[in-house]
Amino acid sequence: MTRIRLAAKQENLEKFLKFISVLAEQNDLSPDTAMKIRLSIEEALVNILNYAYPGCNGDVEIRFRKENDTKLVLEIFDNGIPFDPLSLPKPDLTANISDRKVGGLGVFFMREMAEDVHYRREGDSNILTMIFCRH
Amino acid sequence: MQFTSQKISNVTLIRIQGRIDHNTSKDFENALKPHLDECISGMNKKIIVDLNGVDFMTSAGLRALMIAAKTCDKQKAEIAVAALQPIIQEIFTISRFDLVLKIFPTVKSAFENLSVDAVGDYGNNLSS
Repeated sequence: MTRIRLAAKQENLEKFLKFISVLAEQNDLSPDTAMKIRLSIEEALVNILNYAYPGCNGDVEIRFRKENDTKLVLEIFDNGIPFDPLSLPKPDLTANISDRKVGGLGVFFMREMAEDVHYRREGDSNILTMIFCRH
Repeated sequence: MQFTSQKISNVTLIRIQGRIDHNTSKDFENALKPHLDECISGMNKKIIVDLNGVDFMTSAGLRALMIAAKTCDKQKAEIAVAALQPIIQEIFTISRFDLVLKIFPTVKSAFENLSVDAVGDYGNNLSS
């Protein structure tokens, strides 16, 4: 398993994403798969960095492992306030432009880009698991 | 992320280069803002955003485009994006941005749709 743990600060976003880029290179991922992973991880991280630790400090950890050489499993751990991003309602994508909401696409992308996404709360940890298929 | 803009006849063409992510989306908003202000003041009613040079976009980029599209819609102005890379096209498709703004395969086809007047000037601009 490969992992990275850093303070949940905006200035560390690039370091987390660099970690993802290196993983993509080391595992010889296609540009399409690498893009989907980067997009999903960035969307998840931005939520955590912005909202997980209101008024206090904490860490974020990303763990990566392969299963059967076909599945790529990424888990994001934080010890912030309990928050299940998958509990958010799906955006209405067919609304006309005046009714469409400006935001809400970040979690939608996570769901769409990953083969599977799960959330669980274990002790004082939020754990978001994203599974991607190697293409 | 880098951007340039130019007025071609009655159309503003904005060219974006690079990644539009959470770190650069503010720059993207700043690239669009003066032209949206012109829409609000009535000085300009047609905007084409050339995304050919954009190879990555997160929800923050789509958020900026959504705000731009809503502004144009209110002002009865037109905004279109053109020349999307396949990976960006996929992001637009799954998020149904075809319902938010006009999407064209090339900048030329965007000009042809938005402004007959500007097509010739755009062609001259390319050859100059």
